[in-house]
Amino acid sequence: MSFNRGAIISFLISAFSCNLAFGQTETDPAVQQIIEQLAEELPEDFDFSDLTERLNFYRKNPVEVNRITRDQLQELFFLSPLQIGAFLEHRLSTGNFLSLLELQAIEGFDLQTVQKLNAFVYISDPNSLAGIKAKSLLSRGVNDLMFRYSQYLQQQKGYQQNETDNRRTYLGSPQRLLLRYRYTYGRTISASLNMEKDAGEAFSPPGKIPGFDFNSANIFIKDAGTFKKAVVGDYSLQFGQGLTLWSGLSFGKSAIISSLVKPALGLQPYKSTNETLFFRGLAATFRYKFLDVTTFLSSRKLDAGLELRTDEKPVITSLPQSGLHRTVNEFSNKQAARQTVYGAHLQIRKGNFHSGLTGYHSRFNYDMLPGNSLYNQFYFSGTALGNLGLNYGFTFKNTYVFGEAAYSDNNQIALLNGLMSSISSQVSVVLLHRYYPKNYRSFFNQAVSESSNAINETGFYSGLTVKPNSKWEISAYADLFRFPWLKFGVDAPSFGHELFGQVNYNPTKKTKWVLRYKFEQKQENDDLLNTINTLEDVSRQGYRIEFGSKINKTFSIKNRIEFSNYKKETLRREMGWMIYQDIGFDPAKSKFSANMRLAVFDTPGFNSRIYAYENEVLYSYSVPAYQNSGIRFYLNTRYSVNRKIDLWTKFSVSNYFDLQTIGSGAEQINGSKRSEVKLQLRYQF
Amino acid sequence: MKYLYGIIFLFSINARAQVNPGPRFSAMAGAGVSLQDVWSLQQNQAGIASLKRISFAVGFQKPFAGYELSTQSAVLALPVKQYVFGIGFQRYGLNAYSEQRAGLTYARSFGNKLFTSLNFNYHVLKISGYGSAQTYSVEAGLQYQINKDFLIGLHVANPGKGEYRGGVNASVPSRLQIGAAYSFSNKVVIALAAEENLSGTADGKLGIEYKLVELIALRGGVSANPFKQYAGFGLNYSHFTLDMAVASQPIVGYSPQIALSYEF
Repeated sequence: MSFNRGAIISFLISAFSCNLAFGQTETDPAVQQIIEQLAEELPEDFDFSDLTERLNFYRKNPVEVNRITRDQLQELFFLSPLQIGAFLEHRLSTGNFLSLLELQAIEGFDLQTVQKLNAFVYISDPNSLAGIKAKSLLSRGVNDLMFRYSQYLQQQKGYQQNETDNRRTYLGSPQRLLLRYRYTYGRTISASLNMEKDAGEAFSPPGKIPGFDFNSANIFIKDAGTFKKAVVGDYSLQFGQGLTLWSGLSFGKSAIISSLVKPALGLQPYKSTNETLFFRGLAATFRYKFLDVTTFLSSRKLDAGLELRTDEKPVITSLPQSGLHRTVNEFSNKQAARQTVYGAHLQIRKGNFHSGLTGYHSRFNYDMLPGNSLYNQFYFSGTALGNLGLNYGFTFKNTYVFGEAAYSDNNQIALLNGLMSSISSQVSVVLLHRYYPKNYRSFFNQAVSESSNAINETGFYSGLTVKPNSKWEISAYADLFRFPWLKFGVDAPSFGHELFGQVNYNPTKKTKWVLRYKFEQKQENDDLLNTINTLEDVSRQGYRIEFGSKINKTFSIKNRIEFSNYKKETLRREMGWMIYQDIGFDPAKSKFSANMRLAVFDTPGFNSRIYAYENEVLYSYSVPAYQNSGIRFYLNTRYSVNRKIDLWTKFSVSNYFDLQTIGSGAEQINGSKRSEVKLQLRYQF
Repeated sequence: MKYLYGIIFLFSINARAQVNPGPRFSAMAGAGVSLQDVWSLQQNQAGIASLKRISFAVGFQKPFAGYELSTQSAVLALPVKQYVFGIGFQRYGLNAYSEQRAGLTYARSFGNKLFTSLNFNYHVLKISGYGSAQTYSVEAGLQYQINKDFLIGLHVANPGKGEYRGGVNASVPSRLQIGAAYSFSNKVVIALAAEENLSGTADGKLGIEYKLVELIALRGGVSANPFKQYAGFGLNYSHFTLDMAVASQPIVGYSPQIALSYEF
């Protein structure tokens, strides 16, 4: 290798400028905002690290704007299919971009989109240093090792000895530990390893080899010869609109209307700590002209509740999804059954049209029993299941039409069809119709739905986004859903609807107002003591006002007030509120950054709880529910020890005015205070 | 049989509040208080003050397809200098029970910015075997053009809470509507409206109209209370316009309607 002064200088400059651009938050604020908006609609501890990792990768290794591919644009997530189509169309028809300013000329690209995209692309000029910068950054391997520790400071009941048998409910210690390792070599090869122990899980469980409770690893190769992608180890598959086969990160209804249209990324290495939604084995995607063929084989042990029936073979009665193995019971379910999945996906893409055919077979090593309640009698039973799906999507002028038909081998067909159209440069609409029969079956089904699974539901969604100018953004949606069969806690067919409206106002680049209203009405069983339940309407309303401002180069603030309103026909109305103050401290050239929140909340109980996204250490996510009456505080810090080592901490404490004990069962804490510490160390080399 | 009439009567009291504003406004969730059309005669009469040509329209609606009920309406707007006069008829019900309404409107614009209207209605309620009852009501409307794309509207119906004479325990609904409509790029109109019935119920509505090409308009909307979804389209050819709309309500199902209008 010849000594290249220019390259070294450019590398130093780029490393420096990179650091500046990042500040200390690492994730782009725009991206953080996207995740925040999506996160609040999802379960409390949903793992977004897949998405953040991907975006951070592109943040550090931006792609040349004239070379960025459709797949890469999809991976950025915040671009809608229409915008991606318009981008590629523009590049094709007007030739290479000469300047990043040209992005604003693309149809459907508003200023915010351009600003977001600018963070992940660059434009090369043969005479500038930028062209060499990307090369020099990529032509070596990068190692990223991270360790995280967290723990509640108050003892929970599960860790105390029972008075009766002197045993503890939880087998392990209250620490939560995560060891995470990533290796990337350019854009071609990457490897990842996650090892995790949840609070209460044992490091050396009786009769097992000591180690972390959950281990996940993979090696990923991209764009190498005939392989477009290949994974050995843990991976996820995302095809079509998620009705036939989708594992890993998935979004549905949210404040971002366009997130309803799922960006199917196909085969991806699995990097999350969620212990259920992934495959383990081999998978590869080959590309031949406009045809992509993905084949996959997975065989992995699953958590399962087993029961011994008269014959000697056990049967599966439940498939727990929590990934927690803290108690004897939970531990005995751990990896008790095996699921083998194999199949293939064919996709053609020609111009503005794409279509995919998915077929796969899944099999358990034991029989699964049908549900013995009325509501779950249509759930899967037996050993094997075959699934087939056909998805499509095409862009016609200003409209993207998409859909999927899915077949399960008990002769059921589920359908999803929708469109997204930018009917003027300021207005876009999304419409989606869904029809999921009560006995449609798929183990990897994450299509848009009100329920947690896309079965037993029909519905129609309509959404609207209006951006009159760069200061205002208004989004609204309405969704009607019906459940043709019973559900858990709903002893009759039922229906409901949801209304959502949000106004974002950015009077200046540094200030932002958000107004939000959400209404949801559903039916569920009454709370009366009777043998036959009747259904009652349950409505939930949320009102939110938020103000954020970047005061100067160092400080930013965010305030939020939120009200909740819960009403069930025969129960008293519950009204709650919460108010918080966030302060961010992020000096431009300092190694130290921090943010904190002080929140006060008062809700009569669980029904009127209020969810709010919390800042966390990098790659960690939480959207806790604020309920009961109390005060919550947290402080996040980050310290860059040097270019290679970063240290994060989080301390949080909730103090309840109206509780003597917090939580229930083995999770219970005696007292009115719960505090948690979190430490995270990263070493990049 | 008496029991049956009782049911019909109760039912009609619930459904009665609807003065059918024609398929264009209906497809936009009935958020027509700040829109301008000959069908404004059935929603906010100030909307005809900007009309420059004689227009008329006839419409037919089946509230809840499958029932015997129907609504027939006819409207006519007649511009004379800076005034526009309007006539509207509506009959709602079935053979055994019907409500009829005839309205006379006087509308006027001030400098193409402000549009006002006054409207007098004569109502007849007929129940076969029981006879009929009559009453009057007054409506007043206002629209204001903030700029060429932005129009706001306000409408009051029957503020005097006129009731039927002749011992019938029924009244003409009193309601207040307020709304705004914004046009984006000549192709898209979004209309928002809030409505308060003096009986105590309030509703919020959002409608959107999209001119796909000059001949075809697509429409949709949502109202919050009761929750309803709406869709419709309009075909515009020469002097004729054909509009269709359907409203969907989770419990009672679909309510389709159609109208034909002609503009001289």
